[in-house]
Amino acid sequence: MAAKKLRRAQLSQELCERLNRCQITTCQDFLCLSLLELMKVTGQSYYEVQKLLCKVSRACAPKMQTAYEMKLSKSVNPSSAFLSTTLHSLDRVLHGGVPCGSLTEITSPPGCGKTQFCIMLSVLATLPVSMGGLDGSVIYIDTESAFSAERLIEIAGNKFPTYFDSDEKLFCMTRNIHLYRELTCCSVLKRIMSLEEEIISKKVKLIVIDSVASVVRKEFDTKLQGNLAERSNFLTRGASMLKYLAEEFSIPV
Amino acid sequence: MQREVGSLPLAPGLRARLAAAGFQTAQELLETGPCGLSKEIGISKEEALEALQLVRQECHGDAARTAGGLGTTRKFTALELLEEEQAQGFIITFCSALDNMLGGGVQLTKITEICGAPGVGKTQLCMQLAVDVQIPECFGGVAGEAVFIDTEGSFMVDRVVDIAAACVHHCQLIAEAQQEEDHLKALETFSLESILSHIYYFRCRDYIELLAQVYLLPEFLSEHSKVRLVVIDGIAFPFRHDFEDLSLRTRLLNGLAQQLIIIANDHKAAVVLTNQMTTRIGQSQSTLVPALGESWGHAATVRLIFHWDNSQRLATLYKSPSQKEATIPYHITPHGFRDVQPPAVTPNAEGTEMNPRKRPRREEEKQ
Repeated sequence: MAAKKLRRAQLSQELCERLNRCQITTCQDFLCLSLLELMKVTGQSYYEVQKLLCKVSRACAPKMQTAYEMKLSKSVNPSSAFLSTTLHSLDRVLHGGVPCGSLTEITSPPGCGKTQFCIMLSVLATLPVSMGGLDGSVIYIDTESAFSAERLIEIAGNKFPTYFDSDEKLFCMTRNIHLYRELTCCSVLKRIMSLEEEIISKKVKLIVIDSVASVVRKEFDTKLQGNLAERSNFLTRGASMLKYLAEEFSIPV
Repeated sequence: MQREVGSLPLAPGLRARLAAAGFQTAQELLETGPCGLSKEIGISKEEALEALQLVRQECHGDAARTAGGLGTTRKFTALELLEEEQAQGFIITFCSALDNMLGGGVQLTKITEICGAPGVGKTQLCMQLAVDVQIPECFGGVAGEAVFIDTEGSFMVDRVVDIAAACVHHCQLIAEAQQEEDHLKALETFSLESILSHIYYFRCRDYIELLAQVYLLPEFLSEHSKVRLVVIDGIAFPFRHDFEDLSLRTRLLNGLAQQLIIIANDHKAAVVLTNQMTTRIGQSQSTLVPALGESWGHAATVRLIFHWDNSQRLATLYKSPSQKEATIPYHITPHGFRDVQPPAVTPNAEGTEMNPRKRPRREEEKQ
């Protein structure tokens, strides 16, 4: 939205050309300038500039929804709001399971079972909706190289023996889990940025990142100055992108 | 400003004296000032002041006609302000200790900032306020609507439904206990659907959308004139990443703060912002301070800091022009934001007290 070109914000042609000459081409550039600078650049009066600001803002402002409309749209599709974890007490505490459309974080000391939990969620996501799954693919971003495909098959076979009764079904399920091994912060970020198209093309219903902390701790030492800012930069960029993906596609992350 | 002295509507004797002293344009008169004028022409200071005010009015009239009518700044006496402030409403938070600490609740026409670590209850309070601003006047509320600008995506409609249901229930109990006619009439319109349809929700994904939305807010507020609360949940989040140029960030934040102050004053609305905490690394230890820097600290009139003390949530009034600093505990229950009940529950006149239960935290596993 921010990178929307001013041309498409319904400003007049000659105004756009004038702004282009000063390197202002997108809504972002326009809104970052102060009123005085805008007056100088466009050569118009205070009131005209305010009207222009309103026009450009309208082009990139978000749409309004009342809370009531949100509730109605949610209640239309209640079953798809959660991914049940099949641990009944956990589902009860979470009011249904891992929520779709938002980020969920799992933290613990090493060895408690985070990766196992993630593998199990991946299996659950590929199950059809009638069995409590999401009937879709899974994107698994692994930074610790802890994902084991054999363990995946073991979990699937033991937890749902009636469903995975043939090898064919097992292979079908494993084909739906896309694994990416990323070992640096940069590549993790790049991978997250490129996920949008993959989600649409592969009908992804779950994104798992295992784990964010390990790759960040490897690269950024908080004792060194300047690293703190870069680290939080990386984290917030990744987080906002993931939030956007989760909300846009209504999938759990 | 370049008007000839001869064309100004002054007394002829005065005009003659001004001409004799060599004044030709109105600009020169205004530059001299009343004391200088009285000395040069030999009139008293009050007469000089009167003359100058006349001149100024004339010139101002011309200027106003050419510029298309600038809004004049309003002047108030402190008495008028006092009357206005006393008649102003507060938005209650349903936590009486917090309301007392704030002097009645969240004040209209002021910017209140809530800072805290993640998970401590900032968004909960914002959702509670968005419901509480709609309480009808006969129950002690301001009967307004709410605008909720969300940058972090933590607005959960189901939670607002819970909070609103508890609020309606509370008002129903009051109405039953007091049995007044306007209470019952107000209750007819104060229902779950009406509460939810008067919360206007905007989801801003980055700082440009946030800026654009704030530019468009005055227009939106003039269309929806009943809005009394603007909540921006997460003002720090979009500004904390992707900003290489810190001076641009400070400038944008200052501009944002000024616009919010104008909005709060013009539309008599309360503005509530939530901020994150960041770590400031000192010589020997690191402390948690509100994010966005020192210059942002001047933007908010009232600052609340939420923090944990073992497992009790506390709210500290960090900055306020009229209340003293204090810290109070609070709870977040399934019904919303509430007080901490003392161990012996005293019977209440309304009989509505819900025992506060610790709300389970939203993380999956706490090892």
